[in-house]
Amino acid sequence: MRVTLAALSASALVPASAFAVDYMNAEQAAKLMFPDADRFESRDLTLDAAQMQALAAQGVPARSQTWKAQVAHRGATTLGVVVVDEVVGKFELITYAVGIGSDGAVKQVEILSYRESHGHEIRLPAWRKQFVGKTPASTLQVGEDIANISGATLSCKHVTDGVKRIVHVVDVAKRAGALG
Amino acid sequence: MTSHTGTGHSARRARPLLGTLVEVGVVEGLVHAHEAAFSAMAEVQSQLSRFEPASDVARFNALRANESLTVGEHALAVLAAARLLADQTGDAFDISLGTGPHGWRVEGDRLHKLKDGVTIDLGGIAKGYAVDRAVDALIAADCKAGWVNAGGDLRAFGDIDLPVTLRDEYGGGVRSFARLRDGAIATSRFGSSARSTLASPRAVEAHVSVAAPLCLWADALTKVLSISGDTAHPLLALHHAQGWLH
Repeated sequence: MRVTLAALSASALVPASAFAVDYMNAEQAAKLMFPDADRFESRDLTLDAAQMQALAAQGVPARSQTWKAQVAHRGATTLGVVVVDEVVGKFELITYAVGIGSDGAVKQVEILSYRESHGHEIRLPAWRKQFVGKTPASTLQVGEDIANISGATLSCKHVTDGVKRIVHVVDVAKRAGALG
Repeated sequence: MTSHTGTGHSARRARPLLGTLVEVGVVEGLVHAHEAAFSAMAEVQSQLSRFEPASDVARFNALRANESLTVGEHALAVLAAARLLADQTGDAFDISLGTGPHGWRVEGDRLHKLKDGVTIDLGGIAKGYAVDRAVDALIAADCKAGWVNAGGDLRAFGDIDLPVTLRDEYGGGVRSFARLRDGAIATSRFGSSARSTLASPRAVEAHVSVAAPLCLWADALTKVLSISGDTAHPLLALHHAQGWLH
């Protein structure tokens, strides 16, 4: 074991910086979750007012009326669906993908990106917009790019709540025939 | 062995696991190694989380006095470490969280409940253990170097100096902390959330970090350091660890 401290004595004086990691994009996640698929079809899952209310009554407010999904097909068979969502924590913005099989069960959850701000701008649309369309780093560079956070309170509660919401949204869309 | 590299995956992947976000990084190795590491951690979670009804821990918590159950290798390993730490800290390290530090006992592969109402929670130690199992899985999958970070309990192995940053729990953002090679670092927190009945001797310092060869000890020893506030605590040296208050 070797630990080399980075100016620890002054750490409280070093300004905090933002932190971001891109793990993969939505297409890569979809292929990873459904490796047998021969095509993916983009589809908007749109909930009507009655469906939104039904979800809220189940204790899972849908939050958004339209969800972007990729439906995985193999020939004439529908294998499942991948939905991408983002959640905002105290200082972090997490984009993640949920793969749901044709049986309605969660197949896999992958984090697509993690962003941590050094202030409350995490809640500002302009701050978040700067990352839209950014392609994930596909090569690994040994250096500051791979910095790892050690911290006491990082929770994935927002993500697990989000996964639950997506399962319900996909279930409603499926029963309404929106997934074919 | 067939190589599956070059399919467009990043060498870093992350999933929600162990109640936090877990990142697995592979510098050199096969892409399916990530899967092996996540599976190893999911297995530990299924056996040690008190929130999983079928886990060894949940089944123990449901027992009555003088009942026992057979537990798996993960529970045996973590319980042995927990007992050692309890003995070395005069029961300040207590996985029963006050319900009875001597209310459980392991004999062979059986875990006994000695009195009613004793429940255990391995949350203060099992995350680090799960990271160690994930690193084992990566090495078994022929990875030469990499790391596993379970929400701040992290371990690096092989020929890599991993930059470690500390999260600012109050204002957000991160600060450079250290470079870690072939070892583990965990960070914990003083105050109301710390499992300590002792007040912090230096209230302005809100966090503790511990580096140790294995993540189980880094994770567990942050609790010892939180309780004692003493970076020269003899237990740290005993486990080849270093601690920092910040």
